[in-house]
Amino acid sequence: MKRIIENIKVAFKSINSNKLRASLTMLGIIIGVGAVVAVMSVGAGAEAAITENLQSMGTNIITISPGRGMPGGEGGMMRELRSGDREEVVEGDLYFEDVTALKKETTLLNEIAPVLTGRSSTIAYMSWNGDASVIGTTEDFLSVEGYKISEGSFFTASDVSNLSNVAVIGSTIVDDYFGKIDPVGEVIKVNGKNFVVIGVLDTIGSTGFGSSPDETVYIPITTAHYKLFGGPSEIDSIIAKLKDENQLDQAMSEVKSILRIQHKILPAEANDFQISSPTQFLETASNVTNILSYTLAGIAAISLLVGGIGIMNIMFVSVTERTREIGIRKAIGAKNRDILIQFLTESIILSLSGGILGVGFAYLISWLLKTFGSLSSLITATPIILALSFSTAIGLIFGIFPAMRAARLSPIESLRYE
Amino acid sequence: MGEKVIEIKNISKVYKIDNFKVNALNGINLNVIKGEFVAIMGPSGSGKSTLMNIIGCLDTPTMGSYTLDGQDISKLNDNKLAEIRNKKVGFVFQTFNLLSKFNAIDNIELPLIYYKGRVSRPRKELIMEAINSVGLKGREKHRPSQMSGGERQRVAIARALINSPSIILADEPTGNLDSRTGEEILSIFQDLNMQGRTILLVTHEMDIAKHTERILYLKDGLITGEEKITDPLRAKDILKDMPSLEDRINKIEEKNHNEKNN
Repeated sequence: MKRIIENIKVAFKSINSNKLRASLTMLGIIIGVGAVVAVMSVGAGAEAAITENLQSMGTNIITISPGRGMPGGEGGMMRELRSGDREEVVEGDLYFEDVTALKKETTLLNEIAPVLTGRSSTIAYMSWNGDASVIGTTEDFLSVEGYKISEGSFFTASDVSNLSNVAVIGSTIVDDYFGKIDPVGEVIKVNGKNFVVIGVLDTIGSTGFGSSPDETVYIPITTAHYKLFGGPSEIDSIIAKLKDENQLDQAMSEVKSILRIQHKILPAEANDFQISSPTQFLETASNVTNILSYTLAGIAAISLLVGGIGIMNIMFVSVTERTREIGIRKAIGAKNRDILIQFLTESIILSLSGGILGVGFAYLISWLLKTFGSLSSLITATPIILALSFSTAIGLIFGIFPAMRAARLSPIESLRYE
Repeated sequence: MGEKVIEIKNISKVYKIDNFKVNALNGINLNVIKGEFVAIMGPSGSGKSTLMNIIGCLDTPTMGSYTLDGQDISKLNDNKLAEIRNKKVGFVFQTFNLLSKFNAIDNIELPLIYYKGRVSRPRKELIMEAINSVGLKGREKHRPSQMSGGERQRVAIARALINSPSIILADEPTGNLDSRTGEEILSIFQDLNMQGRTILLVTHEMDIAKHTERILYLKDGLITGEEKITDPLRAKDILKDMPSLEDRINKIEEKNHNEKNN
C-alpha cells in the first residue's frame, strides 16, 4: 500500500515538473474521451426521446392491420432492421368478425378494440368550424390505449350497438372550439351530422407519430360506419391490450393463429394481415440509434488511440530523461518490477486524468448542445465507465513498452548516464 | 580475527566487446573484516570500478566466488541482487546521485521504500536519526539544488545508513568537494567507523586513503599490494588546523581595514 502511494506520489511529482508537456499529452486523451462520451450521450439522448414517445403509446399494446400486399408492407423495413425475419404479407382486409373471433379465442389479450382510423372531417360547433380527425371505435378503446377521461364519460357498448350519435373529444378540440364553455352535453356537427359530446379526454400529448390523440374526435365505430362514412364494412385496424406485457411474442403468435383460422388461410399461404407493437418500434429505433452512436463513437475512439501514441512517445522521452534516476533507484534496491510499476503508474495517471478531464469536456459539449442546439443529450454511466476504463487501458498498453525499457536498464550504465 | 564481511576468492571479470575480450579483473582475493575501514586505490583502468560494482552487487563476477555477510552472491539473479543491495550495501557516490525533485527526507527514505522486511522502528525515527548522525538537522525539507556539495554528500551518507547495511561503499566521495568539506565528510566516515560500521573507500588520492586503516593497491585487475596504516590521519585534527574559508576572508578583511586606517 505504502509503495502504491509512493508510486502515485512520484508520478505526480514527475508530471508536475513538466506541466506543459503533460497537459499537451493529456489533450489527446481529453479530446478523445470527450468526443466519445459526447457522441454516445447524444445517441442516448435521442434514444431516450424516442423511447419516451413510444412508451406514451403503450408497450403492452399490439396493433393488427390489414395486409397491404407490398413486400414487407407497412413496418416491413423496420422489422427487417430489427431481425431480418421479413414475413411475406398478401393483400387482405380486417372485419368486425375478426374482433369477435379474437375476443372469443384469446387467452393472452385483455380488451380488444376495432378502429376506423383518423379520417379528416369537418367539425363545427356553433359558428366555429374546422378540420379534425375522427376515430371510430368501441368502448374497449379507452382501456386498451390507457387514456383517461377528464370530464363526462366514454361511450358504452350500448352506444356502439345502438349507433348513438355521441362523441368523446380530445383536450385540444375543447380548447379550440369551446374555450371556457363546458363541452359535455353540447352538440357538435361532424360532417354535418349532429353528435352530443359526452366526454373529454385528459391531455395525452404528442406521440410523435401521426396526428395527436388530443386533436381527435372519438365516436362509436358503428355510427362511423353506417351514418358517417358509409363505405364498405372493413375496419382499419384492431388494437389489443396484453394481459402480460412480457408475453408479447406469445400473444402475437396467438393472434396470428386465430386470424389465420378466421381468414381460412392455408398453411402454405402468407398472412393477409400483420401484427406490430410499439415495443418492436422501440427495439428497432434503439437499434438504429445504437448503431449510429457506436459508429460515431468508434470514429471518435481513433483520436483516443492517437492520444495513446502521444503518451507512449512522452513516456519514452521521460525514461531517457530519467535514466540516472532509474540507475539510482536500482542501486538502492529497486527491482525491475518496481521501476516497471513506477512508470506504468505514471502513464496510467496521465491517461486517466486525461480521461476524467475528457468526461468534464463531454459535459461541457453536452451542455452547449442542450443550451444552444436542439439536440438532446443524456450522459449516462455507461460511456463514462467505458471511456475511463478505455483510457486506463490506453495508459497501460502504451505505457508498458516505455516502462519495460526503463525496467531493463542496467544500473551500472544508467548511473553513468549524463 | 573478526568476522569476515566480504570474502572474495579468485574473482575475475571478462567483458566481451564485439569479439574482443577485455579482462577487467584477473583473479582477485580480498577479505574485509567487520568494522574495518579500507581504502582501494588504483589508477584509472585498473579495474577499480569493476571491483566496486561487484562488491556493491551491481554486477556479478565471471569467475570466482564472492560472499557478502555470509551469503554467496556471485550467482544471484537481478532481483536477488537488488534485494541484497537494498539490505546490505550503502552507496555513497562521487556525484552524490540524489533525486533532484525530492527533499532530504524523501531522498534518505528511498531505500526504505524498496525494503521488503519489517522495519524495527517508525520510519520517521530512523530518518531523523540518520539526519542527526550526519549533522543535517534543519535542512530536512531542502532539495539537493538548495544545498551545498557537502550537504548533498551528507544526505547521500544518511541514505546509505538508513537500512543499516553490512558495508558502506564510498566511491570517491570527496572527489567533487573542496578539501575542507572533503575532510568533514571523512570525519563523518571515521565517526561511523568508530561506531562499528564497515566502510570501503575508493579513491585515487593518497591523502584521503591515509584516513583509513588499510590500503589495497589495484593494478591491471590485480591487487598488487596492501598497506596497513598504523596511525591513520584523523579528519577532526586536520579540520582544527585547517582554517575555514570564512576565517580566511575575515582575516583578509581585517588586514585591508588595518591598512586603510594606517
